Amino acid sequence: MLEKETELHKKFWEIFSKQDRQKIDEFQTYMDKFAVNFNLYKDGNFIERSLPFDVIPRIISKTEFNKIEKGLQQRVTALNLFLEDLYTDAKIVKAGIVPQEFVHQAKGYLKEFVGFSPSQKIRTHINGIDLVKDTVNDEWVILEDNLRVPSGSSYPLSIRDTYRKIYPDFFESLKIAPIKEYPSYIEEAMNYVNCGGINVVLTPGRFNAAYYEHSYLAEKVGAQLVRSHELVVVDKKLYFKNYNGKLVRVGAVYRRLDDEFIDPTFFNPESLIGVPGLVEAYLAGNVALMNAIGNGVADDKGIYYFVPKMIQYYLGEEPILKNAPTYLPYFEEDMKYIFDNIEKLVIKDVAEAGGYGVLFGHTMTTLQLEDLKAIIKANPRRFIAQELIEFYDEQCYLNKELHNRKADFRAYVVMGKDVKVWQCGLTRYALEAGNYLVNSSQGGGFKDTWVMEL
Amino acid sequence: MEQLLTANVATNLYWLGRYLERIEATLLQIISAYDCIIDVDKEAGVKLYKTLGVDLEYNNAQEFLCNSILGDHSANLNVLMGYARENTIISRNYINMEAFGEIIALHALFGNMSKSHMMIDYKFIDHAQSLISEIWGQFSKRELRKYSDYFLRLGKLVEEADYHFRFDKDKEVAMVIVDEIHTILGILSTDKDMQSKQTQEQSINHEDIMDTIHKKIESLIVN
Repeated sequence: MLEKETELHKKFWEIFSKQDRQKIDEFQTYMDKFAVNFNLYKDGNFIERSLPFDVIPRIISKTEFNKIEKGLQQRVTALNLFLEDLYTDAKIVKAGIVPQEFVHQAKGYLKEFVGFSPSQKIRTHINGIDLVKDTVNDEWVILEDNLRVPSGSSYPLSIRDTYRKIYPDFFESLKIAPIKEYPSYIEEAMNYVNCGGINVVLTPGRFNAAYYEHSYLAEKVGAQLVRSHELVVVDKKLYFKNYNGKLVRVGAVYRRLDDEFIDPTFFNPESLIGVPGLVEAYLAGNVALMNAIGNGVADDKGIYYFVPKMIQYYLGEEPILKNAPTYLPYFEEDMKYIFDNIEKLVIKDVAEAGGYGVLFGHTMTTLQLEDLKAIIKANPRRFIAQELIEFYDEQCYLNKELHNRKADFRAYVVMGKDVKVWQCGLTRYALEAGNYLVNSSQGGGFKDTWVMEL
Repeated sequence: MEQLLTANVATNLYWLGRYLERIEATLLQIISAYDCIIDVDKEAGVKLYKTLGVDLEYNNAQEFLCNSILGDHSANLNVLMGYARENTIISRNYINMEAFGEIIALHALFGNMSKSHMMIDYKFIDHAQSLISEIWGQFSKRELRKYSDYFLRLGKLVEEADYHFRFDKDKEVAMVIVDEIHTILGILSTDKDMQSKQTQEQSINHEDIMDTIHKKIESLIVN
């Protein structure tokens, strides 16, 4: 189902109808030529490939986006306060709003970091918040918070430049919000939390799925792109190793690897992509890590349930953006509801991401549903259940024809001195009709997102 | 002002310069040999590849083009281009965007040719050469050279010097190249020894000159 056509959509289609459609191929040429890749590992093989791109942008009116912006600023502010509270005073737990047991069982909760407060008390520097627009209430709903290492911003940034070159008419005739400022948000946030020294982007390396993005953002942010062994910790301070052996102090790290790999002396000793001693330097307050260690607890899909309560508790406000209706089998009452309605619900494993661990009740057999109930009963903390949100399709120009595809929207929120919401984002669409999974790791494509006004 | 670079980026830029220069120089040699093979000296290709340490076999000029460029040997240009592409991906933040795109296009050109059943012809070589010229042109656009540019140029010059010595070209030109290599090493190094130009090298043999240069580069980049 498509969203009701607005004046903004009409203006887009009016210009689109006059464009040379042969030029659409130029987008792919551009992505191939400049290796705008999201790599995959398939059957043990490393495959370099560009993300499928669709030329029809998602259009969001400026008025509508303003509401999204306020809602996201509110949400990320509350989430940051939650994380800071959780790892220091834990008032929200003491107040009984989030059950202690629930927090302690979260995979991303790291008790070793209790008592530590990072630079400027900021933990949620770069956030990707996934939303969909619900067809029933015609409103945006939050599906997921990604407060660890959200990826994807480089793709719309790269493609917008190309779009302007290939089809300048749209940008001459329509009022489309510019998006180039996003890297400056990251740079400002890095400088704000910087503990003295240069900024670096830490990548797992050339063969990571999002290496293109690491490289692209490092350049745009004006930071050095480094791998773990190009950093060294001396006396609890982090240094960049220049080609000539000279050591240069590092003040902030935008790390693109998960907590468990970041320091083999603290976390996984098998990690080859971490920096030995980095956690010690971080805990000494000598370097800022973006995002903070331990944020995984807030990415836990079970904790997501409590975000509206966090907003009320920390900010004394009602949430501007709603969660999808969610049930926790951890609570007896919710467990009963889930078991009674399992065939129409979506069941998610709380610790999974990227579209993995998601089961749609309506696609499962009775036997499978019974098995699932048994698994949930044995480990209720591991799952959440959500009502299946019927979200709007987006039109996609596939094989020279228009097709409807499910599409979500990842908004990027950067927290430094202020909380800034990028007036763009990653619109991801499913490659197959009717598929609700739009993740890039599930083969989905992306679109540009235009925040427009008349 | 000093530019920060990781050893990895410096190494990759250096090797990018080397591979591109090697591919360009080899293509020039191939064209020259191809011309000879047609009606002057059937063995011209064999002699050329002997200098590169490769025993090349072919029955005619056309086959020489295919076997020299894409044959199963250490001087296969498609393989070298694969290395150059890797160097480029790793050091892309220090490379002009257009040059980056041209290198990817050059890699695709060799890759597609190696997969196709078409015979390599003059047009293919012309196309490859013009892409390489464009790449060098893009690299030389920057008015103020940064350290990253010097590493790339260092690689190019080392390959040029090696080429001159290997093929016994004009000695004076070779020594001018060696001189420029030392100038760049001086810029990139804080080591006083590295900054001296060592003109005495003119009196020693070419292998020793190249050996000294390689040692200096090894000590310049601290891994």
